[in-house]
Amino acid sequence: MPSRRDITAATTSVGLAIVAFGIIYGASATPILGGWRTLLSSAIVFSGSAQFAMVALAGSGASETAIVGTTTLLAIRHLPLGAMVRARMTSGRVQRGLLSWFLIDETAGLTVAFDQPPERTLLVSGGIAYLAWVGGTGIGMAGGSLPGVGPLAEALFPVLFIGLTALAASGRLDVIRSVAAASGTVALLLLWPEAGALGAIGVAIVTAVVGSRG
Amino acid sequence: MSLLTLLLVAAITYISRVAAMALLPPPAGRTAEVVDRLPAPLFAALAAYTVMSAETGPTDPALLGAAACALLTFRRRSMLVTLAAGLAGYLLIDWLL
Repeated sequence: MPSRRDITAATTSVGLAIVAFGIIYGASATPILGGWRTLLSSAIVFSGSAQFAMVALAGSGASETAIVGTTTLLAIRHLPLGAMVRARMTSGRVQRGLLSWFLIDETAGLTVAFDQPPERTLLVSGGIAYLAWVGGTGIGMAGGSLPGVGPLAEALFPVLFIGLTALAASGRLDVIRSVAAASGTVALLLLWPEAGALGAIGVAIVTAVVGSRG
Repeated sequence: MSLLTLLLVAAITYISRVAAMALLPPPAGRTAEVVDRLPAPLFAALAAYTVMSAETGPTDPALLGAAACALLTFRRRSMLVTLAAGLAGYLLIDWLL
C-alpha cells in the first residue's frame, strides 16, 4: 500500500511540474490572448492540453470553429478517465459533479492508484493542481520564467505515470497489458504523431478490452 | 480569439468531465470489467505519450534517462522511490552531457 510519504511526494511533484507548465503557458499565451483572457482561460478551462492547443491554433490564425472542434476532441479523453475514477466513488451525483472539475490525467491517476478515499484524493490533488496552474499562469503573464526548468518538469510526467503504472499493476497480466499499451502508443505516435493523447488513451482501452482477466 | 469561444471551450471541457463522473450511467457488465482493467495500461500509455510528445523530443537523453531510472524501480511499487530515481537519472545524464 502506498505510504503517506508516497502520496505527498506524488502530489507535490505534480504541483511543481504544473507550476512550471503554467509559467510557460502564461508567457506564451499572453501575446496572443491578452493578459486577462490568459488568466481567465486557466481559471475556467483548467486543461493544459486544451489551452496549449487553443493558443497554438489562435496564434496560427485558425478559425474559431477549428479551435472549438480541436478542444472538443481533446475533451473526449475525460470520458474513460472519469469512468475509471467514478467506479471507485461512493458519493452522490452532485458531489461527483462538483469534484469532476478537478479531473485531469494526473489527478485521475493519483485518485485511482492510491488506496485512499477517492473523493478526498481528487479534491486535494485537484485543488493543488488548480492553484498551481492558475498561479503559474499568473507568474508567466508577469514575465516570470524558469530557465532550464521546463525540460525537467516535462521529464517528471513520464516518471509520474511510470510510478502510477507500478502502483496500479496488481499482477503479471496488468504488467503485460501495460507493456503492450506503452509499446502500442510508441508505435502509433511514430506512425501518426497527430493521434496525440487521445490516440494513447485509445491504445490503452484496446489493450484493456483485448486482455483477458487472469 | 473571442470571449465567446473561450467560454465555449471552458463549457465543453467541463461538460466532458461532469458527463463522465456524474451524468452518464455507471459502467456495468463488460464495460465495467474493461474500466477495472484500464488504470495500469492507461498510465503506461500516458507515460509513453509524455515521452513521445516532449518538447525536447523523444530522443532527449536526460528525458530517456529519467524514464529508464524510473522503470528500474517498477517492482518497488513506491512513488517516492520512482520519483527520486527519475529525478536522479535526469540530473545525472543532464550533468554528464
